[in-house]
Amino acid sequence: MKRYDLIIVGAGPSGLSAAVEAAKRGLKTVVFDENEKPGGQLFKQIHKFFGSKEHKAKIRGFVIGEQLLKEADEAGVEVVLNATVIGLYQDKEVVVRIGEAVHHYKGDAVIIATGASENMVTFEGWTLPGVIGAGAAQTMMNLHGVKPGNKVLMLGSGNVGLVVSFQLLQCGCEVVALVDAAPKVGGYGVHAAKVARTGVPFYLSHTIVKAEGEECVTGVTIAEVDSHFRFIPGTEKHFDVDTICLAVGLSPMSQLLKMAGCEMEDNPKRGGQVPVCDEYGRTSLAGVFVAGDVSGIEEASSAMIEGRMAGIAAAEYLGYMDKEEMDRNLADLDQALDGLRQGMFAPKNRGKDIETTDEGIPVSKNLLKHGFVADEEIERFPGVTHAKGIHPVMECTQNIPCNPCQDACPKHCIRIGSNITALPAVEEGSECVGCGMCVASCSGQAIFLVDETYEEGYASITIPYEFLPLPVVGEKGDALGRDGSRVCEAQIIGVKSIPAFDKTNLLTMKVPAEYAMRARFYKKG
Amino acid sequence: MNQINDRSRDIGAFVPAPDDDMIICRCEEITKGEIRKAVHDGMFTLTEIRRYLRTGMGLCQGQTCAKLVKGIVARELNISPAQLEPATSRVPMRPIEMHVLANEGKEDE
Ligand SMILES: Cc1cc2nc3c(=O)[nH]c(=O)nc-3n(C[C@H](O)[C@H](O)[C@H](O)COP(=O)(O)OP(=O)(O)OC[C@H]3O[C@@H](n4cnc5c(N)ncnc54)[C@H](O)[C@@H]3O)c2cc1C
Ligand code: SF4
Ligand code: SF4
Repeated sequence: MKRYDLIIVGAGPSGLSAAVEAAKRGLKTVVFDENEKPGGQLFKQIHKFFGSKEHKAKIRGFVIGEQLLKEADEAGVEVVLNATVIGLYQDKEVVVRIGEAVHHYKGDAVIIATGASENMVTFEGWTLPGVIGAGAAQTMMNLHGVKPGNKVLMLGSGNVGLVVSFQLLQCGCEVVALVDAAPKVGGYGVHAAKVARTGVPFYLSHTIVKAEGEECVTGVTIAEVDSHFRFIPGTEKHFDVDTICLAVGLSPMSQLLKMAGCEMEDNPKRGGQVPVCDEYGRTSLAGVFVAGDVSGIEEASSAMIEGRMAGIAAAEYLGYMDKEEMDRNLADLDQALDGLRQGMFAPKNRGKDIETTDEGIPVSKNLLKHGFVADEEIERFPGVTHAKGIHPVMECTQNIPCNPCQDACPKHCIRIGSNITALPAVEEGSECVGCGMCVASCSGQAIFLVDETYEEGYASITIPYEFLPLPVVGEKGDALGRDGSRVCEAQIIGVKSIPAFDKTNLLTMKVPAEYAMRARFYKKG
Repeated sequence: MNQINDRSRDIGAFVPAPDDDMIICRCEEITKGEIRKAVHDGMFTLTEIRRYLRTGMGLCQGQTCAKLVKGIVARELNISPAQLEPATSRVPMRPIEMHVLANEGKEDE
């Protein structure tokens, strides 16, 4: 039986991060993954990530994956792909299917980083072809270049549902509705707003009654639900669709840990069946660690930090460093993880009704119910100000762990401060030069440049734009409001795409001055 | 757990519902009605349901239906899903052909 100091199951962000830390300290490390490509979920994420500059904010997910792979390679990690781990026995014997044979390996330590699987919900017709998971839609689009359908209804308003809806739009699908049984949008407001402004209607407190069709999905009926999630008769709505996408949560894939005899618990806050473990991933079995979504559904940003922690804890367990060195190494990571777990969406705030931001500003009710901040609500947030000449408008209205906008501005116009979840505010007395770096760096596509006095009677508005084909200068079309409905005519006066923008294009449109604070998207006429 | 293992507990009679013919475990084609009936036949734990009906024993190994079955059984027993112990996890974790399972790899050292 081949031996390793450390065997890691899963080459996602957490598994790879763990491998890097362990291999750097001299542990002979191998990572098994059942996929043909490493990177786990990261390679499906084409959007820019939230977080802090130190932890890869504003970098697109798949690029983070590439960086991580390079780091693993340099540290001398062995990654074995197409290798399905089918069993974990006591004494850390790992059974792996590779090709047409079954292999046994022995690790002195084992880290399980197998991630999560998608949840399903049932309704009449849920087994029809055309009902797919949001993760499946993402895999089709972003890994295989296949369009999942033409007309899509999305169920689920968490970050996954919102992000995948936007990607479906980018891929050329029509998203006819975004539906959720909960009364409030579950994901980040900025993700919701960028979907809503393209014209996708949100139906909160609604769910699917049935999928229609004989051989495959041809339509769907939704209806409103009451506070006990019972359908309200007479509220049914029908949509013609060929695809129904389900983004209704993830469950940790923790079976290997259970079979090895780890103490398990059913913890709804962490997404289901998870191993009992401490903050560095140590389970009830000595030498067996966990990291990432398998120990509780969170995010890639936190999965990477958890992975590093487990890698360091494994190195200490095997005597590659003493406790003092471990504590030193873990202190920074502790702080980073703590930073990510702050704000309105922090695990500790799940299920709570939050009425005001940390700054004491009432949250936008419209954002939670319809996916966009209403025109009459937007002015109360510190990122939204009026000034002479061009200036940034940050429509970022919830306390989320994110701050790349602050560092992006060479003129220091944007202030978040040391508390990463604070709302971005316009720095008083600063002078914007209209370079657009803030617009392109905003992971939430929530920053706009507005010049209310661009021309006699006209304002100019610069928006982030990630759709193809790009409009051309001179072209006329419709300016859409935050709710996605037409507000006025718009003319494109600038299209800017430079490498520093990392594929976020900046469109500048000219609109009548009175619409300067309302026009937020552009649609070809 | 004790409450669940108490087979003398009265859970009432099986009441047919309009969505009883909805498939829950797609791999083994088991309906919601069959699962609900199994509970009334005395199968109170997920392991029993699994052995009785083969839910979660098909190609996807319960990846899709495990949570759904758990919810249905819990509702039938009038308890919270968290009170039900999930079915045992066993090797192999993923479906695997017998000829592969029987083919022990030769270590290259
Ligand atoms: C649509 C969507 C959008 C997201 N957007 C963001 C975002 O903007 N920011 C953010 O921080 N996070 C985001 N996330 C979350 C993030 O992708 C996950 O939290 C993260 O990938 C978890 O990392 P992980 O390493 O724990 O698991 P995974 O990335 O799932 O990796 C697990 C790996 O283990 C392998 N594996 C599993 N079982 C076995 C086995 N038995 N044998 C061998 N290999 C196995 C899998 O093949 C996989 O490669 C998003 C997720 C989704 C679905
Ligand atoms: S456009 Fe440039 S100068 Fe103006 S706020 Fe944005 S980053 Fe700063
Ligand atoms: S405005 Fe700043 S804090 Fe808000 S989403 Fe954009 S980059 Fe993040």
